[in-house]
Amino acid sequence: MNTLQLFTLPDLGEGLPDAEIVEWHVAIGQVVRLDEPLVSMETAKAVVEVPAPCSGTLLRIAGKAGDVIPTGTWLAEFAIDPALPQRAAGHDTGHGHAPAAHAPLPAEAPLVPRVPALTVDDLASPQAMPEGITPAFGSGFKDALATAAATPAASDDAGTVVGAMQVSDQVRSEALVAVGGIKAMPVVRALAKKLGVDLARVAPSGADGVVTLADVKRAAERGDARVGASITPTVNASTAFDPHASPSAPTSRAAAANDVERGADASFDADTPIRGVRRNMLRVMGAAHAEVVPTTLMDDADLHAWAPGEDITVRLVRALVRASEIEPAMNAWLNAKEGTLRRHARVDVGIAIDHADGLFVANLRNADGMDAAAIRAGISRLRDGLKDRSLPPEQLSGYTIMLSNFGKFAGKYATPVVVPPCVCIVAAGRLYHAVVPVLGGIETHRLMPLSLTFDHRAATGGEAARFLKALIDDLQRSR
Amino acid sequence: MAAITLIEAITLALAHEMEADPTVLILGEDVGVNGGVFRATAGLQQRFGDQRVLDTPLDETTIAGLTVGLATQGMKPIAEVQFDGFVYPMLDHLICHAARFRNRTRGRLTCPMVLRVPWGGGIRAPEHHSEANESMFTNVPGLRVVMPSSPQRAYGLLLAAIRDPDPVVYMEPKRIYRQYKEDVPDDGEALPLDVCFVLRDGSDVTLVTWGAQVKETLEAAEKMAAEGISAEVIDVATLKPLDFDTIHESVRKTGRCVIVHEACRTAGFGAEIAARLAEHAMYDLVAPVERVTGYDVPIPLFRLEMKYLPSVEKIVAAVQRTLAAS
Amino acid sequence: MRTVATFEIDYIQFLGEDGRLLREDLPEFAKDPKALVALFKQMLLVRSFDTKAVALQRTGKLGTYASCLGHEATHIGIGSAMQLDDVLAPSYREYGAQFVRGVKPREVLLYWGGDERGSDFSGPAHDYPWCVPIGTQCLHAAGAALAFKLRKEPRVAVAMVGDGGSSKSDTYAAINSAGAYGLPFVLCIINNQWAISVPRKSQTGARTLAQKGIAGGLECVQVDGNDLIAVRAAMDHALKLARAGHGGSVLEFVTYRLSDHTTADDARRYRADEEVKAAWTREPLVRLRTYLTALGVWSETEELAWREVCNQRVDEEVNAYLQTPPPPVTDMFDYLYETLPLDLAAQRDDAIDWESR
Repeated sequence: MNTLQLFTLPDLGEGLPDAEIVEWHVAIGQVVRLDEPLVSMETAKAVVEVPAPCSGTLLRIAGKAGDVIPTGTWLAEFAIDPALPQRAAGHDTGHGHAPAAHAPLPAEAPLVPRVPALTVDDLASPQAMPEGITPAFGSGFKDALATAAATPAASDDAGTVVGAMQVSDQVRSEALVAVGGIKAMPVVRALAKKLGVDLARVAPSGADGVVTLADVKRAAERGDARVGASITPTVNASTAFDPHASPSAPTSRAAAANDVERGADASFDADTPIRGVRRNMLRVMGAAHAEVVPTTLMDDADLHAWAPGEDITVRLVRALVRASEIEPAMNAWLNAKEGTLRRHARVDVGIAIDHADGLFVANLRNADGMDAAAIRAGISRLRDGLKDRSLPPEQLSGYTIMLSNFGKFAGKYATPVVVPPCVCIVAAGRLYHAVVPVLGGIETHRLMPLSLTFDHRAATGGEAARFLKALIDDLQRSR
Repeated sequence: MAAITLIEAITLALAHEMEADPTVLILGEDVGVNGGVFRATAGLQQRFGDQRVLDTPLDETTIAGLTVGLATQGMKPIAEVQFDGFVYPMLDHLICHAARFRNRTRGRLTCPMVLRVPWGGGIRAPEHHSEANESMFTNVPGLRVVMPSSPQRAYGLLLAAIRDPDPVVYMEPKRIYRQYKEDVPDDGEALPLDVCFVLRDGSDVTLVTWGAQVKETLEAAEKMAAEGISAEVIDVATLKPLDFDTIHESVRKTGRCVIVHEACRTAGFGAEIAARLAEHAMYDLVAPVERVTGYDVPIPLFRLEMKYLPSVEKIVAAVQRTLAAS
Repeated sequence: MRTVATFEIDYIQFLGEDGRLLREDLPEFAKDPKALVALFKQMLLVRSFDTKAVALQRTGKLGTYASCLGHEATHIGIGSAMQLDDVLAPSYREYGAQFVRGVKPREVLLYWGGDERGSDFSGPAHDYPWCVPIGTQCLHAAGAALAFKLRKEPRVAVAMVGDGGSSKSDTYAAINSAGAYGLPFVLCIINNQWAISVPRKSQTGARTLAQKGIAGGLECVQVDGNDLIAVRAAMDHALKLARAGHGGSVLEFVTYRLSDHTTADDARRYRADEEVKAAWTREPLVRLRTYLTALGVWSETEELAWREVCNQRVDEEVNAYLQTPPPPVTDMFDYLYETLPLDLAAQRDDAIDWESR
C-alpha cells in the first residue's frame, strides 16, 4: 500500500509569498529519486531549482508552466516508494511553512470568540489564523472579515529579505474607550492629556456622545476646559464673591504693596478702612456664613504612639489624604446653584497660614502624590512664597479640602469656617496631655484636638464621622 | 480610503511629509531603488527622485554621521537602519552628538532627525535581526524614543516624530508590519508624542506595554474578561519622555500593574516604570508589580524564539498572581 | 597586464624654512604684502592667546586646555580662505581658524573652563562646536556638504582632523561618502606628527595621509603646514573646486605640535628634545617674519607694538571670561529639548530646590 506525500511549496527566498512554475523536470507517473531535480520555479528574486522531497511516483501537480503557486500551498503529490531512499523524518524546523496540523474546528461556535493558542507553525504560515476561528483582540478591536484564513495574503511582495513575517488582509479597527462615562477613542484621550484638557468638561460632538479630536482641540484653544481650573475657592482673590469687584484680581505683589502702604495707617480711636487681604476675608467669610450650613464634629487623636520627630503638619496633610480616599465625600466641591457635587480624585490641601497681612490659604497641590519629604518641602515653599508675597494667585486657590493648624498659641476645639465650594475644613488645636484609661490602668498621653466642620447641604453626618474616624486612625499611627 | 498595514502607514506618512516639507529627506541602505528591504520606502524614490531618497554606502556609521550633519544644517533627514541589530555603530553619533547638539551649543545648533529602526523579534530571522534594544536609547538624555503599535498610530506618531525639533528614535515592531490592516486617513494629522494611549478600560489590573506586545496584551485582557477580570491596557507609545501620569492614574484606580515587554528583563524599560510606581504609587498598590519580559538571554533563533517572547498565557498568569496577592 | 589606476601626491610649498621664496608663481593674494601682514598679525594674536591660556591653566584658572602652538599658519590659512557661509567642523585645537571667522577667545576659554556657553559662540551660527569623539566631525561636515549639494548652495563644508584622527573609521566614511556623492567637502588633515604619544609612523602604513582621499576618489595634496602662503593657496584651490561642483579634496598639512597634546600631557616622556628643538627652527612665525621683514613691510618695532595690542586684547578676553558668573543650574535642563518634557520638570524643580538650601 503506497503512502501519499503532499509536497507544499516552501518559502524559497525568506519571506517570498509565491513562485511561478517555469518548467517541470518530471512527468506525471514518472518515478523520481530524492533530491533529483523536480521543477524550476521563478521567484521575485531568482529562478530556483526545487529538488524532489522524496522518492516515488509523481501523481499530480498543482499547475503548469506559467502558473503562480502561493508559498505554503501544495505543489505536487507523490506515491512514496519505500524501497527507495527517503528524507529522514525530523522535527519541524518551521521552515517548511506548511499549514500546521491545527486543532479541529470547535463543535459549536463559541459565544465569545476566543483566540486560539498560537503555535510556531501558526506564525510560520502566511495564513494568519486557522480556518473558521476569528481572533478577537479585546474590546478594543473588531474584525471586519473572517475570510482571511481561507486565502493567503493578497500582497505580492512581503519584502523582508530575511525571516518570515505574518501577513494578513484582516482589517481591524480600534473601538472607543469609555472611562468615567466619557466616550472617546484612545487617541482623543491621549491628545486631551497632552493639551491639559479635562475630557469631562468637553462638549462631545460625535455621534452617540463621543468626544472627537476636533472637540478636544477646540477646547484647548478656548482654554475653558483646563484640567483643575474651574470654580476655584479663594479666600484671597476678590473675584467670585463680589459682583462689583474688578475683573482682574490684584496679584499678591500688588496686594502686598497696598497692604504695606495701609499697614502704616493702623492707628487707634479711628475708623480705619480695611483693605487688601483683610478686606477679602471680610467679604468671603460673610458670604460663606450666608450660604453654608455648617456642622462641626470634634474629637481627639491620641499621638501616644508617634515616633520621635514626626512633623505635625505633614501628618495632618497625610491623614487628610488617607481619609479622603476612604471617605471621598469630604474632598469635594458643591455648586449649590447648579445642584452638582464634584468629588475629586486628587487631594489639594488648602492650608491656612497666618500672616501679618491677614489670613492666607495656600494650595498644597497633589498632596495625595507626595511623600513626607515632599509635603514638608511643599509647605516650606508656600510659606517662603508668602513671606515675600511672591506666591502667585493660582497657588492661593483651587484647593479641594481645607486644613487649619491653629493651636500654636491656645485653643483646643473650634468651629472653623468652610469656604465654598469646599465642603470640609479640618482644624487642629493645641496638643495637650491628658490622663487616659488604658487596659484597666491609667496613663498620660499626648492628644491632638480636632474639629471638623462640614457643609451639611452636601454631606451627611455619617460621611463626616467616617472621614473623621479615618483621619484619626491615620494620625494615631506611629509614622 | 483603503485599509492598510502598519508598514504601508509608514510609507504613507513618509510620503506625506516629503510632499509637505522640502527639507525632509530619506537615507539608508537599499531605501531608494529597492524601496527598502521591508518596502517601507516603496515608490518614494520614483516619486521624489534620488535627491530626496538616497541610497547610502554600506556603513551605518556613515548613515548616522551624515544624518547628524544634515540635520544640524537645516534639513530634516529620516535615516533608516536596516535592522535593529545593526544600530550599534550608530550609537556614537546618536548618543554623543544627536542627543547633545542642542545642549552642547545651548540651542545654537539643533538636530531634528528621525532614525527609523525595524525592531523586535518574532519573524524567525537570523541572528541580529530581532533585537529589542529600546532601553539602550531610553537611558540617553536628549533623545525621544517612540514605538507605534497599530497602523493608525504608526502614521500619526511618525508624522509627529518628523515634525519634532529634536532627535527621535522611531522603533517599528516588524512582527506586526503586515499583521493586519486598519483604516488610516492620509490627513496629515500628527498624534501627540509624550503621552500614553489607553486602549482598553478596566478596573482590576493595569497592563502596561508597547510595540508588538500590545497585541498579546489585548488578547490576554479579552481572555480574562471572559472570566470576569477587568483589565486596563495602556500602550506607552512614547517611551521617552515617559508619560508616567497616565500609568499612575490607572494604577491608582486598579491597584495592580503588570508590565509586558519582549526586551530582556534586567534594566529593561519595565524596570523604570516599576521603580516609579514604587516611588509614587506604593500606597495605591495592593500587589507587587509584575513584569512579563524576555529572558536575560540574546533572543534565540527561531526554533526557540516563541519560548522566549512573552505570550498571552504568561501575561494571564502574571495577572492572576497579582489578584492572588490580595 | 595593464595598469588601471595610478596616483601622485604633490607637495605644495612656497616659503622655505629660511623664509625665502622657493617659487616665482606666487598666488594672487600673496602678491599683496599688506594682506600677508594682516594674516601674520592674526598668527601673532593666536600665539599670544595660546600662551596666555596655558598660563591660566597652570595657575588654576582654566581646566585642561589643548594648545595650538606651532599650528598658526595652518589654522589661519584654512580659516582665512573660507567664506563665512561655508561650514567649519573643527576638532578641538584650531582656534586660529575660528578666530578669523569671528569666534571670541573668551568663548574658547569658557569651553575649556567647563561652561557650555562657550560652544554657543560668536561667528557663523552654522559652524560646528569643538568635537571630542575623534573624527566624527568629518562625517558631520560630509552631511553638511550633502545638504549644500541637495539645496544647490555654493557653500563648502570644511573638516579639520589630526593625523591620529585620520585613522578613525568616521574619517574614512566621510572620505568615502564625499566621493560617492560628489560633495563640496574639504578634509584638512592637520598632521602635527603626534597623536598624544603615538608618532605619525605608527598611525598608518600609507606613505602620506593625503593619499587616503584617493581611495574615495577625491583630489589629494600634501602641503607644508608651516608655510602660510602654501596653506592658503592650497585651500583657495580646493574651495574653488568644491564650490564649482567638482567634488571634494583631502589636504594634508605637514606641521609640528610644538606643545604637549594638552596641558594634562607631558610630551617629554615620549619625544626627544632634539626633535622639538629642530621643529622650532621650522616654525611658522619665524619664516613668515623673515620673509615680510625682507620685503620691508615688517619690523621689530612694529612687532613689539603689535604684541602690546595683542596682550591687551587677550587680557580683555581673559577678564571677560574670569568675570563670567557660573551658569544657572536650570541650564542643565533647559537646552535638552525644545520644550521641557514633564518628565524632566520635576527634576528641574529638584535642582532649583537644592540651590536654595
